[in-house]
Amino acid sequence: MLTIDNLHVTYGNVVALRGVSLEVGEGEIVAVIGPNGAGKSTLLLTAAGLVRPRTGSVAFDGRSVASLQPEALVASGLSLVPEGRHIFGSLSVAENLALGATVRHDRAEIARDVERVLTMFPVLRDRYRQRSGKLSGGEQQMLAIGRAMLARPRLLLLDEPSLGLAPLVVEQVYAAIQELRRSGVTVLVVEQNASRALAAADRTYVLNTGVVRLTGRSDDIRGTPAFEAAYFGVQAGAAG
Amino acid sequence: MEFLQNAIDAISLGAVYALAALGIGLIFSIMRLINFAHGELIMAGGFTLYTLAGQPLLVLILAALIVTAILALGMERIAFRPLRKANPATLLIASFAVSYLVQHTVLLLYGSRAMGVPFLADLSTSLEFGGLRVPRLQLVTIGVTLLLMGGLFAFFRYSRTGLQMRAAAEDFNMARLVGVRANRVIAFAFAISGGLACMVSFYLVAQTGSVSYKMGVSMVLIAFVSSVVGGMGSIVGAALGGFLVGIISVSLQAYLPVDLRPYRDAFVFLIFILFLFWKPEGLMKTRADRERV
Repeated sequence: MLTIDNLHVTYGNVVALRGVSLEVGEGEIVAVIGPNGAGKSTLLLTAAGLVRPRTGSVAFDGRSVASLQPEALVASGLSLVPEGRHIFGSLSVAENLALGATVRHDRAEIARDVERVLTMFPVLRDRYRQRSGKLSGGEQQMLAIGRAMLARPRLLLLDEPSLGLAPLVVEQVYAAIQELRRSGVTVLVVEQNASRALAAADRTYVLNTGVVRLTGRSDDIRGTPAFEAAYFGVQAGAAG
Repeated sequence: MEFLQNAIDAISLGAVYALAALGIGLIFSIMRLINFAHGELIMAGGFTLYTLAGQPLLVLILAALIVTAILALGMERIAFRPLRKANPATLLIASFAVSYLVQHTVLLLYGSRAMGVPFLADLSTSLEFGGLRVPRLQLVTIGVTLLLMGGLFAFFRYSRTGLQMRAAAEDFNMARLVGVRANRVIAFAFAISGGLACMVSFYLVAQTGSVSYKMGVSMVLIAFVSSVVGGMGSIVGAALGGFLVGIISVSLQAYLPVDLRPYRDAFVFLIFILFLFWKPEGLMKTRADRERV
């Protein structure tokens, strides 16, 4: 569904990604884990069309995204929940959700989907008319995911959904991700929280200093010496 | 009674400043562009009135609105869109370039002298309310401004496009990530700012009865100051700032010692500087100065 091939991204003189290739198949949950600065966020921003690669390609449904604006990608079924959630804090919960459906015009269906989000995250129903900037971090994460759901994405990209959240809230967020998968959404999630991501994902890529160090089925790589080395960069000095 | 008279003066001048500041603030909130060429939109409205003088009022108003909107959209398309990812300083310089280009094109076509334009001349008479003399133009200005602001408020509050514009003003990249079309909301913002500039030009032409190629320059400076006072990036703040600066100008005009009154604007800007020491972020806090993704 998403094919990333030999992606190089630089910001000015800073190299963020150096030849990353990655594949997400329909119906999968795929995790990209790695320490801070590994290039995880850059990977998602590039896939969502907000950052342009220097070389390499990103294809969604077999179509190159190189010429597509982020807003066009959303309309074609790819949504990103960026790191830090980026909810519109001055707008109400209701308005944030309404904005999630910007690319759609089927009013009745949108109303049903809003209802679905509010059932999934009941706390948003209680705060429906409130300014979303007043929500707690966990509530904001739920709102960000709910907002993305309203675009009816077929592929959802999540950047650090557990960042800064209490363990109980992290569980809620991941339960929501599993539920999304059951409803047919493909998920690519980026995490520093390696154990949580490994538990949720079918397959995992370990990214470190802009390079994929290890990839495989999550169950196969969890806890192995190769995983420790790739994640903590024991060999990173030698590998560059 | 004198106080009431001054209050009406202050509110009507504040209303005009608020309209001008809204035009600047709206564009800044979405694009982080301080559009100094906004003054040339005002001027273009004035010159449309001059060029078409003698036509029916409705024709004049519509023509001026169309000209300013098209000029605003043209600036965006030709000068600012290619620079959208540039830093704010580059955008600012580009707006100066556009400003000078338009000014000097008009200078070439019409010359440098101010030219008389009869426009809404019947509004120059005053109404009397028990000793209070209120020029009709002031009443119309206040009325039209309130109407426009009400309309804008409703647009931002209740329409889909308005909601998208508020989202874009708060976090442009995130707005795009939910599917808001960048080109569309920016074009909308420019068209609205052109319309607002046109309203200001109606006031200036009706009040002074003339147009000149520099007529927008001082207004855009005041509008810029007003939007900074209000808090750059806040649309409500820009309107508030405009009213505040208008009120301060009129108060100084009324209450400064007579021999200092010619230097009124120096005092206005002095107060502005002191205000910035006190509240550098303006009346309304925004996330405008945050880092762009």
